[in-house]
Amino acid sequence: MSETSRRNLLAAGGAGVAAGAVGLTTGPAHAGTAEVERSATSARESVVAYVPDHRSSEVRILVGEDEVVVHDRDLATRILNAAGGR
Amino acid sequence: MSSHREAPEMAKDPVADSTDVYAFVSPDRPDTVTLIANYIPFQAPDGGPNFYEFGDDVIYDIHISNQGRATQDITYRFHFHTEVRNSKTFLYNTGPITSIASTSWNRPQFYSLTRIKNGTSKVLASKLACPPVNVGPRSTPNYSDLAAQAVHKVGKRRVFAGQRADAFHVDLGSVFDLGTLRPFENLHLIPTPAAPGVNSLQGYNVHSIVLQVPISEVTRKGDRPTDPAKASSVIGVWASAQRRKSRIFDRDQGAYVGHGPWDQVSRLGNPLFNEVIVPMAHKDAWNAHRPVNDKDYAKYVNHPELARLLPVLYPGVFPNLAAYHKPRADLNAILLTGIPTGVVPGFQNYTGPREADMLRLNVAIPPSSSPHKLGVVGGDLAGYPNGRRVDDDVVTIELRAVAGVTIPLVDPSFTPDGAASAVEDGTTDTNGDTSLTFPYLADPNGGYQTQPGTSSS
Repeated sequence: MSETSRRNLLAAGGAGVAAGAVGLTTGPAHAGTAEVERSATSARESVVAYVPDHRSSEVRILVGEDEVVVHDRDLATRILNAAGGR
Repeated sequence: MSSHREAPEMAKDPVADSTDVYAFVSPDRPDTVTLIANYIPFQAPDGGPNFYEFGDDVIYDIHISNQGRATQDITYRFHFHTEVRNSKTFLYNTGPITSIASTSWNRPQFYSLTRIKNGTSKVLASKLACPPVNVGPRSTPNYSDLAAQAVHKVGKRRVFAGQRADAFHVDLGSVFDLGTLRPFENLHLIPTPAAPGVNSLQGYNVHSIVLQVPISEVTRKGDRPTDPAKASSVIGVWASAQRRKSRIFDRDQGAYVGHGPWDQVSRLGNPLFNEVIVPMAHKDAWNAHRPVNDKDYAKYVNHPELARLLPVLYPGVFPNLAAYHKPRADLNAILLTGIPTGVVPGFQNYTGPREADMLRLNVAIPPSSSPHKLGVVGGDLAGYPNGRRVDDDVVTIELRAVAGVTIPLVDPSFTPDGAASAVEDGTTDTNGDTSLTFPYLADPNGGYQTQPGTSSS
């Protein structure tokens, strides 16, 4: 599957598909300090991550001309923690 | 007006601010339709050294709906690219620009034209050159020739993108001063002596996208209709602009970097719709929505605020309008559905019951040999609201319609007030002479030639 079509699938697939897919690539929360291996399909350009609601697990990732919507509590938590300086 | 600075957020983003949209059967090539979308309002022609240009970070679209669904069945997309030829000068031009390929022009702009139909995009042309802005007689001598060089043939189409004189005329200074109209302000709630109208857009430029395509390219059946009564003779037209969902300022580049998909930030179909129909609190959301969702805004058409204001601002002048409380079926037809058969003899531009703000053009109606600036209201079926021509006086047309002159078309029991057929802002197009040939809009006002406005308080 090409990178673009994968992104489209993530964007269109809804919470279940997106969370599952991202969970595989980001790892569990306790691995925050460990080196995480980048997948073969990871972005090779600048991206913007947007957490529209800090109470939600939703993370919107803007990459190229795509928007990838993932529901990943672990990812959202780590972004929020980083935003708080931790 | 008609959509210049019409919404709070969009007023801060002139590069993406659509000011006017026109759609008409070309008077000089009646087998084609001309589509015009203007942007960047109120350009003071002497506004250098960084003059006006389309946004490289904006997608400009002109949409056609031809299936009666108010969806974009065909889209023509324009994407611009600006170059800097000489990085060592602050100048827009380092000498006279005698052709659009001149190396003296330091900041040329180019664009691609893409046609999207049924979800399939096809780039029709790329690296099409814009003309420079009209700087002045030393920098852009023989401007008409420069503009003519920027008229490109793309198959059977013609296209132009660049600076033009604004063809819209309106007295902004008066209408936004509590709705006064200078010719009638002796009758205003706060009266002053009547006076001639003042064209607020005189001397200002806009940036225009002008596209001329065969009628058969935009109709439902791929033909050139000849029967005005057929539904397939009518197309819906509107323009929109999109920006990236995220813009982050990159300090190293000194510029914004876009990320994510393109989102619509501006749109325009009928003149003045967002300007005077949609309440201020909803204007920016309206800009972000597509016409297919305009049912949500129908209540503002059916009971327009301006129709309630006129009798208050002009006491005793509009008693019949003041007493009329039915939903404005006339305005709903003009602005949201098109006028069905049987309302105006020999005319219809109905696109079905779905309410959507689009210009609606019946392409089976040929261009008028003697155009009337009041269009259908003036007995000229080739003018607004049958599409819109550059010389149509849409302010007067819509003002009179709101004042009640079109109510009898759908409600014969109503008698318009005498003032309804006389009301106007008193302006004419004093910006520049429009043309009967492509690209129809007048050459832009020159920077050197510009005289500053009057000081006042």
